[in-house]
Amino acid sequence: MQKKILAIIAVVIIVIAAVAVYQLTPKAPSAEARNIKIGLVAPLSTSIGQDMSKAAQMAAQEINDAGGIWVAEWNTYAKIEIVNADTIDDSPANAKPPVIRAVETDNVDMLIGGYGSAGTLANQQVAIDNKVPYIITGASNQLVTRRGPQGNYGGFGPNGPNSISDAEGMSYMFHYCTTTYHYSKTVVDFFAEEMKPLVAAERNFRLAIIYRNDAFGTGVEEATKYWIQNQSLPIDLVADRAYDPATTNYQTDLTAVKASNPDAVFVVDNPDKTPLVISQGWNDVGLKSVYIAVENNQDPVFYTLLGETGTGHLLESKLDPFMNPSYLPAVGEYSQKFYTTYGVMPGMMGADTYDAFYIAKDAIERAGTIEKSAVKEALEDTNMDQMLIMTRTGKIQFSTGIDYHEIDPVTFIEQLYWDEADNRLKSRIVWPESAPGVGNLKQADFTLPPGYQAGQP
Amino acid sequence: MEIKQKLTSLLHSRIFQIIIFGLAILVILPVIITDNFFLYVLTLICIFSIYAASWNFLANSGQGSLGHAAFLGLGGFSSALIGTSISNGINGLLGTVIMPIGALSVTIQILVLIVGGLISAGIGFLIGLACVRLKAWYLAMVTFGFSVIASTLSSQFDAITNGINGFAPTTLVPRGFPFYILVLSFTVTSIAVMYLIMKSRTGLAFRAIHGNEEEAKMIGINTAKYKLIAFVISTFFAGIAGGLNVYFLRFVDNSIFAPANSFLPLIMSVIGGLGTVIGPIIGSVFWVSIQQILALPSVADYLHSSLGGFFPGLSNVGPPISLIAIGIIIVVIVIFEPKGLVALLQKVYNYIMLKTKSKAEIKPK
Amino acid sequence: MDITAPTIMLTLIWGLAIGCIYILLATGLNIIFGVMKLVNFAHGQLLMISAYLSWTISVSAGLNAYAAILVSMVIVAFIGILVERLTFRRVLGTDKLNEIFVSLGLIYIFENIAMLIWGTNSLQIPSPLSGLNLYFSGVSITYDRVVAVFVVIAALIAFGLLIKKTKIGLAMRATSQIKNTAMLMGINVEKIYMITFALGAALAAVAGGLYGIIFSFNYQVGAMPTIIAFAIIILGGLGSIKGAIVGGLLYGITEQLATLFINGTWGSAVAFALLIVVLIIRPHGIFGEKGE
Repeated sequence: MQKKILAIIAVVIIVIAAVAVYQLTPKAPSAEARNIKIGLVAPLSTSIGQDMSKAAQMAAQEINDAGGIWVAEWNTYAKIEIVNADTIDDSPANAKPPVIRAVETDNVDMLIGGYGSAGTLANQQVAIDNKVPYIITGASNQLVTRRGPQGNYGGFGPNGPNSISDAEGMSYMFHYCTTTYHYSKTVVDFFAEEMKPLVAAERNFRLAIIYRNDAFGTGVEEATKYWIQNQSLPIDLVADRAYDPATTNYQTDLTAVKASNPDAVFVVDNPDKTPLVISQGWNDVGLKSVYIAVENNQDPVFYTLLGETGTGHLLESKLDPFMNPSYLPAVGEYSQKFYTTYGVMPGMMGADTYDAFYIAKDAIERAGTIEKSAVKEALEDTNMDQMLIMTRTGKIQFSTGIDYHEIDPVTFIEQLYWDEADNRLKSRIVWPESAPGVGNLKQADFTLPPGYQAGQP
Repeated sequence: MEIKQKLTSLLHSRIFQIIIFGLAILVILPVIITDNFFLYVLTLICIFSIYAASWNFLANSGQGSLGHAAFLGLGGFSSALIGTSISNGINGLLGTVIMPIGALSVTIQILVLIVGGLISAGIGFLIGLACVRLKAWYLAMVTFGFSVIASTLSSQFDAITNGINGFAPTTLVPRGFPFYILVLSFTVTSIAVMYLIMKSRTGLAFRAIHGNEEEAKMIGINTAKYKLIAFVISTFFAGIAGGLNVYFLRFVDNSIFAPANSFLPLIMSVIGGLGTVIGPIIGSVFWVSIQQILALPSVADYLHSSLGGFFPGLSNVGPPISLIAIGIIIVVIVIFEPKGLVALLQKVYNYIMLKTKSKAEIKPK
Repeated sequence: MDITAPTIMLTLIWGLAIGCIYILLATGLNIIFGVMKLVNFAHGQLLMISAYLSWTISVSAGLNAYAAILVSMVIVAFIGILVERLTFRRVLGTDKLNEIFVSLGLIYIFENIAMLIWGTNSLQIPSPLSGLNLYFSGVSITYDRVVAVFVVIAALIAFGLLIKKTKIGLAMRATSQIKNTAMLMGINVEKIYMITFALGAALAAVAGGLYGIIFSFNYQVGAMPTIIAFAIIILGGLGSIKGAIVGGLLYGITEQLATLFINGTWGSAVAFALLIVVLIIRPHGIFGEKGE
C-alpha cells in the first residue's frame, strides 16, 4: 500500500518536474516566424502623407529597437516591416491599386493609414473583401466604419449610396481618428457654452459657415447643422456658403457672409487654404469676426501662412504637437523626438498613425498570432491607456457599446496668439477645462480678438 | 461573293493571325499568372485603351477635345446610378440582399454599360452641335469648359448623383477574372468598331476633314455632319470606358471630371502614336505599367535610397521623378518621333528584319 | 441675405482685382500666340516657378518682396528662352496639337522639379506691406492688392510702349502679321521668337510674384490660372491684347457675380458657360479675327 502511494508520489513528482523542465527550457522559435508586414496607406506626394510616413517609420523603428512584437505562436519576437501603399493624391482611382497590391500581392498582415475620405472609401473595399484588419487613421468621414450593417449603413439603409452588406468584412475596419461629427459638436458646444454669454447673452448666437464644396466640407457643414438641431442649441446659422475647392478668391463669399452679421465664422478648408479665407475676410473684406478652423489645420503651414492675422482666432483640435511644454507629456516627447529625427515638426495626422502601430503591436501580442481574424478580435478587445490622442475614458477602446469600431476622442478649442518674442503664431487651449487621464487642460481664458465686432440681428 | 473573298483574305492575313494570337495571350495570361494585382493592371490597361482610343478617334476627325473627362464621368455616373437602382429594384422584388449571379446579371450589366455610353453620346451630340463651327483651340476650350460645368452640376445635384461623397455601385459581374473578361470583350469590340469605321468611307471623310476642312468642304463632304458623327461615336465609347472604370473601381465621385482625366487619353495617344489604332493601346500599356512599376515598393525604396539624400524635404522621391521622366518622354517623342512609340517599334522591327534579311542574303555566298 | 448696392459694388471691385493677375498672364500667353502662333499650356507653370523664386530670393536674401519679383522676372525670362529653344522651336509649324503635347510634358517636368526642390508645403511670400489697408467709402482693401493693380497697369503700359514705339516691337508686329515677308525684309525671325517668348515669360513671372504675395501657392498652383488665362484670351479673341483685357474683366466679374447671386461653387461653371455661349455666337471670340 505504502509502496503504491510512494510510486504515485514519485510519478507525480516526475511529471511535475518534466513539465517544469519543459516549461523552463527555452523553446526554439517556430520556423514560420517572419517579419510582420504592415501596409501604410498614405499619399506620399503630399505633406500630410509625408507626416504619416515619418510617424509610421518612427513607431516601427521604436518597436523594432525594443525587440519587436512578441508572437506567442511563433515563440519569438517579430520585426515590423512597413509596406508602402502610396495613394498618390488620394483620388479613388489612385488610392485603390496600391492597396490591392499591398493586400493581394505583398500579403500584408494589417493596414494602417488612409487619409482622404473618398480614397479611403474606395480602397477599404479591398480590405473588406480580403478581411484584412485596417486601422484608419486619417479619413474623418464616419462612413468608413459605419457603412455596414453594424453601423446601420450610416443611416442610409442597405441600398444607400455607400452601403456595404458584408458585416463580417466591415468588422475588420477600425477608426482611430476623430470624425466630422466629433469636431463639429465641439465647435458648436464651445460657441453655445463659452462664447455666447460674452457677445450674445440676450439673443441667439449668430454663426456663419463657409466651406469647400467637397466630401470634407459638406460633411462638416451637415454635422454642424445636425448638432445645433439635435441639441436645440441657441445658435442661428445666418450664412451657409460653399465654394469651389479649386478657387483662391473668397472675397465675394465673405462679403455675403459679412452682410449676414455673424458673431463667428466657421471656415472649413485645408491648411493651405484656410489662412487665405481668414486673411481675406479680416483684411480685405473687413469682416472683423472670430474665425474658427477645424483640426486638419493643426499643421505648420497653417500657422506660417496665417501669421499675425491669426491673433485671437480659434482652432478646434485633438492634438497639438507645437506646444512647449505640452499639455500632455507624451505629445511633447513625440514632437521632440520627431523633430530630432527628421528636422521638421510633426503634423497632426501622423500622430494617429504613430499610435496605431502601438495599437497593432498590443493586439498582435494579445492574439498571440498574426492570423487576421484573431488579430481583429484582439483589436476589438483593445483596452490600452491613451497615447497621443486623448479619449473620454482615458483608454483606447473600440466598440464601447457600439458594434462598429470607433474611438471616443476628446477634442478641444485653442485660441491663437502672436508671440512677439519668438515672432510666430502660437496657440493655447481655452476650452474645455479638463480631460480624463490628463486633468487640467485649459491654459488661458478665451478673449475676443482685438477689433472684434459682434454681429447684430 | 465579294464579302466572302474579303473574309477569306482577312482570315489568311498576317494581321488577323497576330490579333487572334494576341487575344489568346490576353485571355490565357491571367490564368497562368494568378496574381490579382497583375489582373488589376491588365484590366486597367484595357479600360484606358478604350478611353484613349475614343479620344484618338475624335482627333482623327480634326477635333481635339480637352474635356473628355466629362464624357468619362457622364458614362460612369449614369451607368452606375442606373445599374444600382436596377439591382436594388431586383433585390426588393426577390427579397435577397445579394443579386444572384448568372446570365441575367451579366446581360443587365452589359446593357447598363451601353445605356451609360448612349447617355454620354446624347450629351456629346449636343456639345458637338455647339462645336461644329469651332476649330482647334476654341473647340478645346469649349470641351474643357463643359467638363468644369459637368463637375459643378454633379456636385450641385448631389441628392441625385451623390457626386460629392461618391458612391459604390453594385457590381453585377464578379470582380477578378470574370470582370476582366467582360472588360476585355468590351475593349476588343469597341476598338474593332472604331477601326472598322476608320477604314470605311466615313473614316475617309474624317481624315479629309483632319487634313483640311475647307478642301473637304469643297469636294462635297458635309463636314458638319461628319464632325458631329465623330463626336457622338467618340463620346459613346468614352462613356463606355467611364462605366467600366466605375464598376471596376467600385467607386465614383466627381473627381472623375478632373482635368487630369481629360489629359490622360491625350497623353496616351501621343505616347503610343496619334491616328493609329494600336497607338492608344500601346500608350495606355506604357502609361499604366510605368506608373505601377515606379510605385512598386522595391523600386520606390531603391529610388529613394539613391536619390532621397538630395531632396531632404520629401520622404518619397519616386513619384516626382517618374513624372519628370514621363514629361521628358512626351516632349522627346513629340519632337523626334511625332508618330509615337508605334512608329518607333515599326522602325526597330524594320531594322531587325533588314539585318536578318541581309544576313540571309549573305549566307548563300 | 439682402443683396444691397454696396455689396454688388464690392463684388465688382473683387472681380476687377482678380481679373488683373489673369490679364497679365493672358497677355503673355497672347503675345506669344500673336507672334509665334503657339499656345503654351505650361505658361502657368512659369507663374508657379516665379512665385517660388521670388519667395526664395525674398526669404533667403532678405530682399523686399517686390524687388525680388524683378530678379525672378529676369531668371524666368531666361528659363523661357531655354524652353523655347529646346522644345517649342522644334515643333513650330508642325501639327497644331503638338504644342499642346509639348506643353503637357513641360507641365509634368516643371511641377515635379518644383516639388523636388521646394517640397509639398504651401508657401506665401512675406510682403513688406502686410497688414496695411486702404480705406475708402466704407471699403477696405489691402495695400498689396492695390499695388498689384498698379503693377499690372504699369506692366501693360510698358509692354504697350515696347510694342508700339520700339524697333523690336515693330519687328514683332511685322512677324505676327506676315512671317515670310518679315523674313525677307531682313528680320531675324528666330531672334524675334526668342524675345517674344522671353517677354511672355517675364509677364508670367510678374503675375507669379504678385500671386505669391496675395495668395499662398504650392507646386500645383499653375494649372488653374493657365486655364483661366486661356479661357480669357479665347473669350476675348486669340492674339488680341484688347481682347485679353476685356476678356479678363468679363471673366472676373461674371465669376464673382455668379458667386454672389448663386454661390461660390457656380463661379467658374457660369464663367465657362458664358465662354461657350460667346463662342457659339462668335466662333473666334469677341475681338478675334477669322483665320486663326
